[in-house]
Amino acid sequence: MNQNKKPQALYVHVPFCRSICFYCDFCHRFYQEKEADAWLQALQKEILHYFVNPELRTVYIGGGTPTALSAAQLDSLLRLLDPYTKNVREYTIEINPETLDENKASILAEHGISRASIGLQTADDKLLRKIGRHHTSADVAEAVRLLKDHGIDNISLDLMYSLPDQNMASLRESIRFALSLQPKHLSLYSLTVEENTVFGRKGITPLDEDTEADMYEEICRILPQAGYRQYEISNFALPGYESLHNLVYWHYEDFYGLSAGASGMEDHCRYDKPSNLSEYLNDPLKRDVIPLSKEDEMFETVMMGLRLKDGIFLQDFQNRFGMSFSQAFGAPAEKLLDEGKLQITDGKLKCADAYYHLLNSVLSDLLPV
Amino acid sequence: MDQKYIRNFCIIAHIDHGKSTLADRILEMTDTVKERDMKTQLLDDMDLERERGITIKLNAVQLSYHAKDGHEYLFNLIDTPGHVDFSYEVSRSLAACEGAILVVDSTQGVQAQTLANTYLALDNDLEIIPVINKVDMNNSQPDVTIREIEDIIGLDCSEAPLISARTGLNVDQVLEQVVTHIPAPQGDKNAPLQALVFDSFYDPYRGVIALVRVREGSLKVGDRIRFMATGAEYEVLETGIRNPREVRVDGLSAGDVGWFAASIKSIKHVRVGDTVTSVSKPASEPLAGYRRMNPMVYCGLYPSDAARYEDLHDALDKLQLNDASLQYEPETSQALGFGFRCGVLGLLHMDVIQERLEREYNLDLICTAPSVIYHVYLSDGSMMAIDNPAKMPDASRIDHVEEPYVKASIMVPDSYIGAVMDLCQNKRGIYQNMEVIDAGRNMIIYELPLSEIIYDFFDRLKSCSKGYASLDYELVGYRKEDLVRMDILLNGEQVDALSVIVHRSNAYKRGSGITIRLKELIPKQQFEIPVQAAVGGKVIARTNIKSLRKNVLAKCYGGDISRKKKLLEKQKEGKKRMKEVGSVVIPQEAFMSVLSREDEPK
Repeated sequence: MNQNKKPQALYVHVPFCRSICFYCDFCHRFYQEKEADAWLQALQKEILHYFVNPELRTVYIGGGTPTALSAAQLDSLLRLLDPYTKNVREYTIEINPETLDENKASILAEHGISRASIGLQTADDKLLRKIGRHHTSADVAEAVRLLKDHGIDNISLDLMYSLPDQNMASLRESIRFALSLQPKHLSLYSLTVEENTVFGRKGITPLDEDTEADMYEEICRILPQAGYRQYEISNFALPGYESLHNLVYWHYEDFYGLSAGASGMEDHCRYDKPSNLSEYLNDPLKRDVIPLSKEDEMFETVMMGLRLKDGIFLQDFQNRFGMSFSQAFGAPAEKLLDEGKLQITDGKLKCADAYYHLLNSVLSDLLPV
Repeated sequence: MDQKYIRNFCIIAHIDHGKSTLADRILEMTDTVKERDMKTQLLDDMDLERERGITIKLNAVQLSYHAKDGHEYLFNLIDTPGHVDFSYEVSRSLAACEGAILVVDSTQGVQAQTLANTYLALDNDLEIIPVINKVDMNNSQPDVTIREIEDIIGLDCSEAPLISARTGLNVDQVLEQVVTHIPAPQGDKNAPLQALVFDSFYDPYRGVIALVRVREGSLKVGDRIRFMATGAEYEVLETGIRNPREVRVDGLSAGDVGWFAASIKSIKHVRVGDTVTSVSKPASEPLAGYRRMNPMVYCGLYPSDAARYEDLHDALDKLQLNDASLQYEPETSQALGFGFRCGVLGLLHMDVIQERLEREYNLDLICTAPSVIYHVYLSDGSMMAIDNPAKMPDASRIDHVEEPYVKASIMVPDSYIGAVMDLCQNKRGIYQNMEVIDAGRNMIIYELPLSEIIYDFFDRLKSCSKGYASLDYELVGYRKEDLVRMDILLNGEQVDALSVIVHRSNAYKRGSGITIRLKELIPKQQFEIPVQAAVGGKVIARTNIKSLRKNVLAKCYGGDISRKKKLLEKQKEGKKRMKEVGSVVIPQEAFMSVLSREDEPK
């Protein structure tokens, strides 16, 4: 636990995209060179203001599409971060296959990027077009090759399921294709249709709950057989390749958030950076700060921690909040333990396997009334 | 003020004929309400009333009007509700008045409640001023409306103002007629006090506030008064009027309408319909009260959180002050725990009560489907009055069952006669009579089981007649019918709060309709739930709610925490209005679904 210490993780949001995926409701804007230049200047201001000797262990550059930036801008971005990334243990960047080239790959390697997260989504090229992606599965294979050529071989692939018109055979084929690229890590997300997306506006719905559940079960069956351990609801990794940065979130530790659309958590507060780019450019230092009560923190610790297969170390909870999990959650916690929905083994609190995919139901029982 | 310059009147009308809009105009035109304070439907000050655009509670307001005769008049205007559920409130307001403005919508003409309310007013010896409204509308037919009023009701309309309450057109004529047509109140200021309590409400700081019409004598701050029926005595601490805000005055005297506070902490001491008199110079007799309306419909009200039973009790006590037609007594349900069986006037009334309890007293409630009172005759010759289907005894002990019937008077244009009669037949109606009222309009009389009309009859009537049919009804007695109790089992357990009494011939259809509705309404849970309907222990319909297989957030990273937590809180909030019965979580709507009269499954 790193309470009362500086955050050891940094998230940087790159709010630009070269095309818009139909399911995406993250902060994004069509890439424009001048705007991206202005954004880099704003980011510099923000870094200089907020970063006083940070001691970072992990850095994650996400988006949007970080590789939507031009090679020169990508270089500038990484240059801004160089002073803080020399000693990090994991330095991840998100990559969209069609915006990566030889040049950008070599820039990433030069600046010490150690991990790449690539959006594959599905190996079905027709389906890719249907969800607004502008690459093919072959482009993904090519991106993986480029990165490996430059020594970046800690690669994670993102896949989606429960997509419109997707069937089990298509999902299996996507997984087979993903495995053939020998990633160290896989994230598999079921489609959630958010209001503010192309899908949301078009009224597209995910597949029915039964099919989605079937697909999830299939994923949880196939991947461990291939050596990928499920360590979180949607995340699978070869041993030792769990995402250190994302574990910071699930361990509910503090982290810095930089740039438009990012959030951070420091010193019992969460803050949101403006999601509107102009607003951010006007005042790069602006943060909307939400103070977190002890109750907020206790619940959120559980909400994030139970997503992990390993669950929560109860001693950590006790040390952090000065009370035990049972004291903090009282009767509802006892009930969940009695019903076997929650389990305590080896000092760890876990969601029972049979209820892992029903975590929301368990969590809502723990929410304060 | 001299009594001869006082006018006490109310406005009566069929629902949506423009009562509250006319009241708004009158308030504006008497300078009572400053323009900037004007909200639409000012008298409807319950949020609920303004949202739904209906008047639920009567409301008394004092206005001053400068008449053409050069004198200043004091008007006490009492607004009344128009929905058939609230005719009790209408009779209460009438008792405080000398006259009534009868508003008739000239695009619709005389409707069922136009008749019912007018007859109530005539019974109370009120002077009636007919007013023809909505004459600015394209489809207005003032001549036809006037002829209807004259022919059907027998009121002279030669002087009836043709108005638009919306635009204010000719509303000044209405005000003048109030002065010239409605008699001034009578009564002796020096006689012993007799004041009729026509409404009351609870104020947390000042106790019970009583709204009164002073018939005889006077009432001042400092007087000791007695409620003649309950015998309770208090010292008057404040007297006042509403304009429509509360304004304190030194006292009220014969002819006045106003309110008083006396630090009355016990709700039970103030009964609407009681007479207030003075302790030092008591009246020998109370005023004639008015007919107490008996509830026709009963339902169970339970707090979602069992720990709030006492709060619900307290809230009902206070609400009853303000709504004398509400009755309740404690009851227990195996499924829902401790709660109350409440007697109400109808479905809308029940809805209003539930919403007021939830809003004004911050309660989350489960309301069971309303039931009428069945008369169950046992083999030993005794009779049980059953207001809760779950209490219906075992069939082996029953000789026969009777259910209440109403005489429904439905006014309908020629072209919809067929549709309306079909509807009545479907609802087990017994045709009585049909009269032609005037060219193109008819009054159809049916006897219908009350249980068949309490739910969606009114809505169905409106939709099958494109809004043209109107309804009034009164209880006419009990009839023997082949009625059985249908039980609902969830996950194998009978849920008493879902039991319903049905006609045997409809049992199968209703059973499958209800089980399918329940399947739609009850959220999937972590296990499969069989839903069964049974009569006399025999299952007649069955379906299954499949189990919930996946309920987890796909993505949850650092930036998602606030949003995803809100999502969980929303799920949790939804659960507040659900009740855990055995192992199954049941939402509020499910308890009402047994009423769904769509006889075919949806």
